[in-house]
Amino acid sequence: METMKLNSVKAKPQRKSSVKARRTNRMQQWITGIILALGGFLISIPFIWMILSAFKPEMEVMQIPPTFLPKEFTLENFVNLFENMNFTIYLRNTIIVVLCSFVGLFLNAMAGYAFAKYKFKGREKLFYLVLATMMIPGQVTMIPVYLILNQLHLTNTMAGIVLPGLVGAFSIFLFRQFMSTIPDELLEAARLDGASEFRLFLQIILPISKPILAVQGILTFIAGWNSFLWPLIIANDENLYTLSVGLSLLKGQYGGNFALQMAGSTFMVVPIVIIFMLFQKHIIEGYTISGMK
Amino acid sequence: MKALNTKTPYFFIAPALLLLGLFSLFPIVVALVISFTDISLESLGDWSSIRFVGLENYLEVFKDPIFMKSLFNTLFYVIIGVPLVIICSLAIALLINFGKARIFRAFRVIFYMPSITNVVAVAVVWSYLYNPQLGLFNYVLNFLHLPSVPWLTDPTMSKVSLIALAVWRGVGVNMIIFLAALQGIPKTYYEAAQLDGATNWKQLTKITIPLLRYAIFFVSITTMIGWLQFFEEPLVMTKGGPLDSTTSVALFIYRNGFQLSNFGYAAAGSFILFIAIIVITLLQFRLQKKEVDY
Amino acid sequence: MKNWLPKLNKKLMVGSLAGTLLLTGALTGCSSGSSSSGKTVINVWGMGEEAKSLPKIAEAFEKENPKIDVKVQAIPWETAHDKLLTAVAAKKGPDVVQMGTTWIPEFGSANALLDLKPYVKKYPELDPVNYYEGSVETTKYKDQTVGVPWYIDTRVLFYRTDLLKKAGFNEAPKTWEELSTAAKKLSERGDNKYGISLDTKEQSLGFMFARQNGAELLDSKGKPHFNDPKFVEAVDYLNSFFKNGSAPKDSGLDIVQGFRGDGILPMFISGPWMVKLINDQAPDLKGKWATAVLPKKENNLSSLGGSNLSVFKYTKQKDASLKFLSFMSKPETQLKWMNMTNSLPAAKKAWEDKSLKEDNFYTTFGEQMKESKPMPVIKQWEPIAQAYLSSFEKIYRGKTTAKKEMDAFNKKSEELLNK
Repeated sequence: METMKLNSVKAKPQRKSSVKARRTNRMQQWITGIILALGGFLISIPFIWMILSAFKPEMEVMQIPPTFLPKEFTLENFVNLFENMNFTIYLRNTIIVVLCSFVGLFLNAMAGYAFAKYKFKGREKLFYLVLATMMIPGQVTMIPVYLILNQLHLTNTMAGIVLPGLVGAFSIFLFRQFMSTIPDELLEAARLDGASEFRLFLQIILPISKPILAVQGILTFIAGWNSFLWPLIIANDENLYTLSVGLSLLKGQYGGNFALQMAGSTFMVVPIVIIFMLFQKHIIEGYTISGMK
Repeated sequence: MKALNTKTPYFFIAPALLLLGLFSLFPIVVALVISFTDISLESLGDWSSIRFVGLENYLEVFKDPIFMKSLFNTLFYVIIGVPLVIICSLAIALLINFGKARIFRAFRVIFYMPSITNVVAVAVVWSYLYNPQLGLFNYVLNFLHLPSVPWLTDPTMSKVSLIALAVWRGVGVNMIIFLAALQGIPKTYYEAAQLDGATNWKQLTKITIPLLRYAIFFVSITTMIGWLQFFEEPLVMTKGGPLDSTTSVALFIYRNGFQLSNFGYAAAGSFILFIAIIVITLLQFRLQKKEVDY
Repeated sequence: MKNWLPKLNKKLMVGSLAGTLLLTGALTGCSSGSSSSGKTVINVWGMGEEAKSLPKIAEAFEKENPKIDVKVQAIPWETAHDKLLTAVAAKKGPDVVQMGTTWIPEFGSANALLDLKPYVKKYPELDPVNYYEGSVETTKYKDQTVGVPWYIDTRVLFYRTDLLKKAGFNEAPKTWEELSTAAKKLSERGDNKYGISLDTKEQSLGFMFARQNGAELLDSKGKPHFNDPKFVEAVDYLNSFFKNGSAPKDSGLDIVQGFRGDGILPMFISGPWMVKLINDQAPDLKGKWATAVLPKKENNLSSLGGSNLSVFKYTKQKDASLKFLSFMSKPETQLKWMNMTNSLPAAKKAWEDKSLKEDNFYTTFGEQMKESKPMPVIKQWEPIAQAYLSSFEKIYRGKTTAKKEMDAFNKKSEELLNK
């Protein structure tokens, strides 16, 4: 732990730059900012449109050409939304799914770490097996998975909803890639101090992996928050529906209800943005461990 | 790396592998078996009527002209789309990382927004942008005295339009992965380089890109797999048309297998895609190993 | 800052602990089949937004049958098919299920639906004589009756009265010829204006026009006749709208978007659900549009659809389920359902009600109902209809002629039927 602190001190900028260099640097900063601002605005138009549309009456949403700002501001869609959904139940289920998926995240991190930092028999082969699971279109395995869950008597239970998506190859792979850049010296030092392997993982590896944990935290939260297929397939009872299943019920057989759907998506996206803002800070606050190399 | 207690690594991977084995690998094996049968909705209720048909499904899929077309389309998507996504997300991540002002934090959220925009909103907005007569894109073109472009109605153009849409949606996730990876590069490297008077470009090509290799590798593998399963964009925007010119393999599987309940046929199509993905991924792994070796 | 992760760890642990607790709670809480009060519970699967109104109707049923508890599960349309597949595979699912008319042959062949024939005596509401002949056809699979008509729909012509008047037509086109002329005239209003929207992704459209031209789709032996001159003539007729610019090949517009305002698409053919959509999305159009029965050639047969109610074969609550079915089939219930969801009742008797007889929009549909037939109820119909759509796309995009393509399509259909 001592070494790490030392390193982060060393990493503090001690730049000696001339006035001229500073000026060109400033220019570059401004240009970068402007490019990003322009691109960012263009790229987020659909997102902004989605949010603004949530406050438009149904007739305005489908207008051609579309209006950007609501001509007629209304909260009716949101009122409708809350009247239409079994809100507390759906929210409770969604939160359960999200919490469980964070348990899954932990399991993924463990597996990713082992694939990155241990040499063991069958490592390559097992890793390829893990990767293979993300290469098959999900729908092919849907019915087999359902039959397995049925055999385990897990249909119509929360466990059945959570288990199929608990761990994932994408996440294991991402952890492996990032953790393989952690210098071995760090682990050796801790081992010499007599730390157990699991403690090593909890107290050294995880803190070091903060940036990637933050990224994975965001992705895990979004996946759990939006979980749709398994809650729907497994549940034989609306008491197990999640928010996204509830939202997709707003769609009629022949379309329509656009404004209501926009209100629903806007509502769904707010927690994601909040979580993103909370976690993204940590993406850039990593320890500069690689400096030891 | 010392060989420690040999059981430790297995303890770390066991929970994840058990779950994957039960809910992913075993079902893949079941699907493989299904691909050799004529199972349909009829026999789903009555398993005794399932017949093994050997390779018939595979032969038939390869005889299907729409399948061949969808293979070509998928290749088209992958060859153009994958490099584009990687380059765009890397460029954005670098630009954001380069900035020092607080405002650049906001950009991280903004560029992530397309990934979390509801697909219905995506369809409504982009359909308007691409609309042949009333759409914004053609309006701008006409305003500049340029001819209209048949965004979604020309066989080749429609593929390009869908790629643009998918790149727009796909940049966010890869961008934050790159941002996280950029943090792993020690600032001391740059300081040393700056003292040597290295230009920004030199720092980028000599320090940043090489040290990002493991992240680029991850992004290129996962992006490749994702794009080989290209599905949602054509489903929402064109339903595979015009004349099946935007049908991807995954959409073909979905349509022929799951709308028509020919599970055997769909499973066979999926395994052809599966094998293609495995081969391409293994190639990528080989290439990476070579790079590391030198 | 360094403590961030240990903290997260604690949170994680608390989270996982809470998760497991809640999980076990959920595990034990929601799995039991019959409720503790000794009541019989039946599970009903309904689709989409419409199903949200089902519990209100079910309440009335529970009042009549205090021993039965109805649990409604609404399932989104887009995944309803998947959900049903898994239920069939596991032989475990609902007791009563809503079945789109086009799904009947599929799930009938999977042996998932109970034959209602033996129960008609006990539950007279289930008797086919109570319903339009066309919708009874959709409840049959082989010699079984696997459902009872619930609500129906049929296609009619929607048109903008103001725009047609301006173009010199005081009423809706009555024949194929008049439809062509009107569409042509309306498309000449200017650039980017069309006469009619013909949905090229709509499976039944071509077959419907072929029937109007007197073509027979499948003969009594089930052989297809899609290259019959009458069928080809109908396809040519449809294609003529695209050829002379009366109908857009790719408008990229939602149907209401084209219908409102200047009326880029002032006519279209669709079902009763459009009434509500137009009222919701374009309330400014009030009084400027109307519906009419389809224009005639030899006849003006429309395509009939809708939903049936079926009893899932693997149910353990057969009697209660049948009771529920017969309750839903009563004309009074169906009228109540119509008031909640705007869907048209399937029971003939319901149509004698005042509210249906006096409403202009409903009378059009009532009249068209008499001239409506469902698409053939065979399980290969879906692939055939999809093959037709891609054939027709080749024709209207000018890649081939109707005669040639219909020969190929007929051959393909024969193959599909022989499978």
